[in-house]
Amino acid sequence: MNNKITDISSQEKNSGTIAIKVDGLNKWFDKFHVLKDISMSVLEKKIIVICGPSGSGKSTLIRCLNHLELFQEGSVSIFGQELLNDKKSATLIRENVGMLFQNFNLFPHLTILKNCTLGPIWLKKIPESKAVEQAMVLLDRVGVSKLVSKYPGQISGGQQQRVAIARALAMEPRIMLFDEPTSALDPEMIKKVLDVMIDLAESGMTMICVTHEMQFAHQVADQIIFMSDGEIVETGPPEQVLKNPKWDRTSHFLQHILSHTS
Amino acid sequence: MGKLTNPKAELLEFVPRPSRPPVVVTYGFTGWLKKHLFGGFWNTLQTIAVFSLLYLLLKPFIEWSVIDAVWVASTRRECLEISPDGACWAGVITWFNNLIYGRYPDELQWRINLGFGLGLVWLMPLVLKKLKNKIGIAIMAVVLYPFLANYLFIGGEPNGLHYIIACVALAYLMMIYINIILIYTGCQLLEQYLEPLLERISPKKAALLSHVACWFVLSLLIVSIFQGVQLQHVPIDMWGGLFLTVVISSFAIVMALPIGVFLALGRRSNMPVIKWFSIAIIELVRSVPMITVLFMSVTMMPLFFPNTMDLNKLSQVIIAVCIFAGAYMAETVRGGLQAISPGQFDAAKSVGLGYWQTMFLIILPQALKLMIPNIVTSFISMFKDTTLVSIIGLFDIMLMARNISIDKDWYGLHSEPLVAISFIFFIVCYGMSQYSQSLEKKLKTSR
Ligand SMILES: Nc1ncnc2c1ncn2[C@@H]1O[C@H](COP(=O)(O)OP(=O)(O)OP(=O)(O)O)[C@@H](O)[C@H]1O
Ligand SMILES: [Mg+2]
Repeated sequence: MNNKITDISSQEKNSGTIAIKVDGLNKWFDKFHVLKDISMSVLEKKIIVICGPSGSGKSTLIRCLNHLELFQEGSVSIFGQELLNDKKSATLIRENVGMLFQNFNLFPHLTILKNCTLGPIWLKKIPESKAVEQAMVLLDRVGVSKLVSKYPGQISGGQQQRVAIARALAMEPRIMLFDEPTSALDPEMIKKVLDVMIDLAESGMTMICVTHEMQFAHQVADQIIFMSDGEIVETGPPEQVLKNPKWDRTSHFLQHILSHTS
Repeated sequence: MGKLTNPKAELLEFVPRPSRPPVVVTYGFTGWLKKHLFGGFWNTLQTIAVFSLLYLLLKPFIEWSVIDAVWVASTRRECLEISPDGACWAGVITWFNNLIYGRYPDELQWRINLGFGLGLVWLMPLVLKKLKNKIGIAIMAVVLYPFLANYLFIGGEPNGLHYIIACVALAYLMMIYINIILIYTGCQLLEQYLEPLLERISPKKAALLSHVACWFVLSLLIVSIFQGVQLQHVPIDMWGGLFLTVVISSFAIVMALPIGVFLALGRRSNMPVIKWFSIAIIELVRSVPMITVLFMSVTMMPLFFPNTMDLNKLSQVIIAVCIFAGAYMAETVRGGLQAISPGQFDAAKSVGLGYWQTMFLIILPQALKLMIPNIVTSFISMFKDTTLVSIIGLFDIMLMARNISIDKDWYGLHSEPLVAISFIFFIVCYGMSQYSQSLEKKLKTSR
């Protein structure tokens, strides 16, 4: 693993384009208040890690960012483009935002290669030969280029998740959302997926990761957001949140998690 | 990371051992018998019991249908004189042609064979590997082929719209085959020869234009070639037998899936009007017996269409059967759609696909694959259900079979035609089910 900690980048560039701006976001599932007054802003090329106990609304929050969930109150804007409740806005947003899921969600009826070329061919109208070429580069980058003609059901979970990364990258997004990308994997595969994510982070992608891999957070995150019960409890650089949390809730959760992973 | 490994100790290198080919167990025939049929006391007893039961049941049938049967005779009376206890297949054989073609004139039956033959010819390219745009060919087959077949079956003067559409369809078929020959001999496609010419007119649409141009020229050619060929008119009342059954049921089978898919999607839609409309159609049609739908189609459908439209009984029945089949299929499709995990929708959306793209590229291919057994089951039952049209007086295979028993030569010959039809139906339905199984195997991609 490449162990150079990239703390330089996080401190130096304090100003930059705002990639994501969330303002006063409230969301209810029926009467259940999932997200309460969430506000945050993410600068371009920053890596944000969101953690928190199960059911605290982490998935819901990042699903709101690419229009997979609708919200009732507040506003979200991606690169200055406000997210509205219509199809056109959804398509515009999703052009810029790629997303990874806990259980990969590859398309099981298509080969690995087709999984990665489908979007470019149908949405960007790129000719097939060129799409294949680009997909091969990406698949090579995530280290699964030998598996291109297999189907998702025939490869391991770690490989599937890396293919999912390549599939998202094929659409050339400027922001990537990760929803617990490694929690369905065993340790050896986790490392390979994290390596790809670290590589991605170093290449300057704006990333929001819901994850409980604290070592990863420590290594690449510019900011950690701790959520509980639909609220942002604490936010700050990893050093601060991980070493000197302000709230008992955070410290309690971190102790819990660290005792499990290390 | 480095805490767990001990740097001092010499580590052995782990090399995975090479894989062996899988163990194959063979028994041979007697071994197989011993293992599966006569392994142990109870197993042997079961085998004997089942076989004796089969013998008891099958013996009388075989005696009746094969051993005592009469194959050659000119009337039923003659049959009974030769062998009173056997089947009289002679009647079925005499009427066989009518069972298959109904009252279609004997000397014109080649047109039916040619029509169905062309249908097969149209579908055959779909199994070729090198051919592109198979979906286009299949859609064209659905859209154009019926006109071609219909013209062959009905006949008429070689002029008018019907004749021209049939020629256009034939031209498309010819173009497919010319292109296949060109591909397999390593040449360019037909339309690619024209493309450079048309590129000057409109560089962007040159491919499409040249395709249409080739098609048009071929159509003109065919229209003029067949100008002199007169096909004698055979009114639809003369159609019948298995031929009619196949015509009706193939409409039902081909239309069921698209109608079913759209109704199922409509039922899941967020738009209330579409949703309620789909639910209404599905529930109404499903809760009414097929026979009622058929009767209504004949008596009531003319009320819904303008007087000037010339609707015959057959097209009314076909419309009714298609809607009926579609409504049933809709529920099958909905079941399949529900089996797809929501994660697939999320993934498709996050890649950026829109609603129709998500449905047609991601969701339906998976859902349809899951549903193949159900779909084929309903195809089979549709094929069998079409025999109900005999009730409203279409001379399908069922009515032809009953006609045998009121023919003056074969008066009272009831069972044999029914057994013969069962046999025909079994062959067709078993064929469909076998095909579906091979399709399932072919499409099996994961695990
Ligand atoms: N579609 C839904 N309808 C109703 N309630 C929902 C829905 N999705 C999530 N919830 C509820 O919203 C809350 C937040 O869910 P969410 O999935 O965002 O949590 P999470 O922080 O991602 O948890 P985990 O770590 O387990 O993934 C949970 O209590 C959940 O039960
Ligand atoms: Mg979650």
